Amino acid sequence: MYCTNMALSDSADKTTLMSIQPYTEDQSDALQEVVNIAMGQAGDSLARILGNFVALSVPRIRLVTVKDVIKTVTDMVDNNAEISAIRQSFSNSLRGEAIVVFAQAGADDLADLMGYDTDLDQSAKQELLLEVGNLLVGAVINGISETLKTDLSFSAPSLMAERTPLDQVLVPEQLSWSHALLMEVNFTVENRDFKCHLLMFMTEETIDSLRGILDEFMDGI
Amino acid sequence: MPDANDTTNLLNFIVDRAYVGIFVINQKREILLWNQFMEIHSERKADTVVGQNLFEAFPELPQKWLDRKIENIFILKNFSFTSWEQRPYLFKFAHNRPVTGGVDCMRQDCTLMPIKDDCGEVQYVCFTLFDATDTSIYQSKLEKTTEKLRELSNRDGLTQLFNRRYTEEALEKEFSRARRYNNELSVILTDIDFFKKVNDRHGHLAGDEVLRVISQRLASGLRGTDILGRYGGEEFLVVLPETGSQGAQVLAERLRKVVQANPIKVEGESLTINISLGVTELRSNTAAYAQLIAEADLGLYQSKENGRNCTTLFQPGL
Repeated sequence: MYCTNMALSDSADKTTLMSIQPYTEDQSDALQEVVNIAMGQAGDSLARILGNFVALSVPRIRLVTVKDVIKTVTDMVDNNAEISAIRQSFSNSLRGEAIVVFAQAGADDLADLMGYDTDLDQSAKQELLLEVGNLLVGAVINGISETLKTDLSFSAPSLMAERTPLDQVLVPEQLSWSHALLMEVNFTVENRDFKCHLLMFMTEETIDSLRGILDEFMDGI
Repeated sequence: MPDANDTTNLLNFIVDRAYVGIFVINQKREILLWNQFMEIHSERKADTVVGQNLFEAFPELPQKWLDRKIENIFILKNFSFTSWEQRPYLFKFAHNRPVTGGVDCMRQDCTLMPIKDDCGEVQYVCFTLFDATDTSIYQSKLEKTTEKLRELSNRDGLTQLFNRRYTEEALEKEFSRARRYNNELSVILTDIDFFKKVNDRHGHLAGDEVLRVISQRLASGLRGTDILGRYGGEEFLVVLPETGSQGAQVLAERLRKVVQANPIKVEGESLTINISLGVTELRSNTAAYAQLIAEADLGLYQSKENGRNCTTLFQPGL
């Protein structure tokens, strides 16, 4: 429906380019473009299902360490603030996990935004979080796989955290990897409390396979 | 390599016989395909449901919710899922554990897959339905065990009252809650009079029995929201949310009387047991929950000084 994408400004592209090291400038450019399109589609899907104007931040693509991840999420919500989160795996030509973190006030507002009775029971509220999380992740995965013409599949979403202080959700000691390619974006609904943060982590071997996929994509243009 | 015809036959066979529910609907919600799993569990043959509207054929489905979910797939072209954890089932099917199950019907995980035409428009939605009954049974066993362990770790083995750690944690929570909402909060600390004599004269087994009986009597004298724990050997702590010192004193006296009301029979002998009590309440200058325990202890000490078998309210400056 109504969706802005502020990602296409020149200055934003330059800063993100600097931070992607594993790729050539052309590959980074192409990847940023693909991710912009995919995240934009996700925002559009969200706008349609909520019937509301959805704004998204500049999608960022970075090679991150575990410590960066905590920081990137805490930039959105206070570290001791409560959040709810869902996770989903994707596999096939690219492998990784997607996490959608909902600021708690927005999660509580979701039923109203979607036009449901606001006195939904616990399970129904969880179902809404899973539904919206899956919608965003699915749209991004579809966007990436369609643009890059590569096959991607994804698992059913599961609840990762509910009304949990953020610092208990992403605990560095429990994450077994050191580096990952992170694609992230914020979605906000204007004039409402709703705010969520989409994080897509790709494994280290995916960083390599993506290089070939991007080259093929650029050859095909 | 089988030829194309063979492959089609193979696929048809697999879709029909795989032990997973598979069915397909079009945009009008008409059923186009219904595999054997669905036939067996719905007790409806494919030829009786194919061509029918899904919601007319199965009016027990949660239509409002599911129809919206299906519509979103046609619009957004996205996969969609349901999980037994939030929604135990879509179709009310019998499960395969009539003997060992313990759940009423089959738990289901469901995937709704968009099937697009060459132009990328969604033409059909394919449902795959997985039997998640086993998983749900294991999970509920695990939850029950965890709950039991948690409960055990909070209890005192001898008296079955809450243990000291749990009671203090509960007091700490009530302390912050009372502070936040400006509620009253009182604490009673009580000790059995001359308990050492019971042990010395009648042995430890008799002492244990006295502790058990008194625990029951104390519990019977309290209200649902009060928290009673064994604080030490023969000491008990009572946390009284939303109760001021006046109410707490009344309750303390009730406990004292209920304990001494009937003699306790141990080894053929009747023992009349008394308790001493100390009471205190939350005041604006109470620094921490531990201060409440310390004050109740001072009140208890005063009761012992005053000849035992009585209640003393802590007064600042006591």
